[in-house]
Amino acid sequence: MSSVLHATALSKHYGKQAAVDRVNLEIQPGRIVGLIGPNGSGKTTTLKAALGLIPFEGELKVLGFDPRTQRDDLMKEVCFIADVAVLPRWMRVRDALDFVAGTHPKFDRSKADAYLAKTKLKPTMKVKEMSKGMIVQLHLAIVMSIDAKLLVLDEPTLGLDILYRKQFYQNLLEEYFDEDKTIIVTTHQVEEIEHILSDLIFIREGKITLNTSMDEIAERFTEVMVGSEYYAAAKALGPIDERSVFGKTVFLFDGINRSTLAPLGDMKTPGIADLFVATMKGTYA
Amino acid sequence: MNTMKWLLKREYWEHKGGFFWAPAVVSGILALLSIGSMLIGVISSGNGKGVFHAGGSDFVSLKHALSSISPAEKLEFAQGLASAYPAISMPIIFTLGFVVFFYCLSSLYDERKDRSILFWKSLPVSDRDTVISKALTALIVGPLIVVAFALALSLLVLLTLMVLAAFHGLNLFGPVLGNANFYLVMAQIVSFIPIYVLWALPTVGYLMFVSSWAKTKPFLWAVGVPVVGGVILTWVNALAGSPFVLESYWKVIVGRGLGSVFPGSWLGMITETETNINPDNALSMLLANTYSLLGTANLWIGVVIGLVFLAGAVRMRRYRDEG
Repeated sequence: MSSVLHATALSKHYGKQAAVDRVNLEIQPGRIVGLIGPNGSGKTTTLKAALGLIPFEGELKVLGFDPRTQRDDLMKEVCFIADVAVLPRWMRVRDALDFVAGTHPKFDRSKADAYLAKTKLKPTMKVKEMSKGMIVQLHLAIVMSIDAKLLVLDEPTLGLDILYRKQFYQNLLEEYFDEDKTIIVTTHQVEEIEHILSDLIFIREGKITLNTSMDEIAERFTEVMVGSEYYAAAKALGPIDERSVFGKTVFLFDGINRSTLAPLGDMKTPGIADLFVATMKGTYA
Repeated sequence: MNTMKWLLKREYWEHKGGFFWAPAVVSGILALLSIGSMLIGVISSGNGKGVFHAGGSDFVSLKHALSSISPAEKLEFAQGLASAYPAISMPIIFTLGFVVFFYCLSSLYDERKDRSILFWKSLPVSDRDTVISKALTALIVGPLIVVAFALALSLLVLLTLMVLAAFHGLNLFGPVLGNANFYLVMAQIVSFIPIYVLWALPTVGYLMFVSSWAKTKPFLWAVGVPVVGGVILTWVNALAGSPFVLESYWKVIVGRGLGSVFPGSWLGMITETETNINPDNALSMLLANTYSLLGTANLWIGVVIGLVFLAGAVRMRRYRDEG
């Protein structure tokens, strides 16, 4: 099957500043990809380019379409939540569903109704009367009822409390995702999506610094808690990061065989958050 | 997928206040004032001091009207009523200009300001269709609703008048309803809409373009740029011995450019073909003059400019990065 997203030398400049700098990227169908980067790293710009919201340089195909020239066709297959609380404030729940049902050929009204029945939203409620969490529930109900091949979520849970955030990703995974769909998600709450991702992309200053599957991460990266007696030995193996915990040192290794590391101390697979912090050091310096 | 139908509905939902409630409230006020004053006239005429407000033109004492009316006068009065009864609703038609003006200014700006454009653009609806739906709302949906209100109010006031007259022994139903003009004027009023569409197009296009382009304060940009331009030209004229014809600048750029959404704004632009105007032929003369616009370059140049601006608005909406 052909790739969902294929970018070659994708660039986007704002003035002289490159927000996205000659990025090459390939995303396969049936994956849940986390696009993770610090503020201003170019994740949103990359997604906007893919959604045909901004002009860009380089080559980019999304589901085989060029977002610059074939956006109208592309949007039949792609859905996105670009920001929290962007539903028009004057709209009623009923109006929103009617409108999407009337304009989107792949929208299943009964699915949306069923999902909304599980929430406190009423058909006559206006968006301006809703809390941020409720707006996202409505948006998610709409998006999940659209049988799109690609779903792009840019900080979909920003500003929501933990209950809404957990529910959001749980619904997405249990009721929406299947092997024909692809989800690309960006968020700062890395820990919360760690368990649902199949692939991970780190982006920093417009460049991709890591692009790997979650399975590979376990093979590639190892965290070892080393006592002071092995400090020099561990250091000699070239860790990519170190930090002190309770008088011991936690080293992060990339591509070092676990049998080599085993004698040095307790090993574990690092969390995305630790990996992120280690690889992004000095970003704001 | 009947996308256009839903896009038009969407505009109506969002702007019901301007397109429905504004003419509704103005109609309500007019109904209250005119019917109220007729009732007061009727009641106070009981003591011989009141006046009877007839057809929006003359004031005659009710007693006099009833006692001295001859069949010929009655017929003449009915004829006047049958042709001129929609005059009462002129203020409603006038509100259309304001509603359309401010609707166009906000049409492509508000969705960027509240970022809901990101929701609209997540649906398979093209920028072209969206802009077309907004232009159609301004040019056709708005005028149709306003005309409906205008006719409804006119008929209501006329009916009230005739009922009150009938109670006082003057039966106007036959001569008014039997008069062809009574039906003709309704058709004539609706017939203004096609010309309005063409005439208002440059202003609608310009305002929508500014709305799609302005980062803040679309009103200031839309009105300020032409006005400041005029001030600069005035200044240059004062310094450099009048190289510019200011009168046509104000008339064409400011008047025609910004004012064309106001119904009847074309009347100053056409040369009257006939001078003998009376209440019976006023509306048909107006309509004939209005349709004579079809033969003017003024109208068609405006149409082209309007379409160019709309195309520009589509492009703006398509590629504008909201950051």
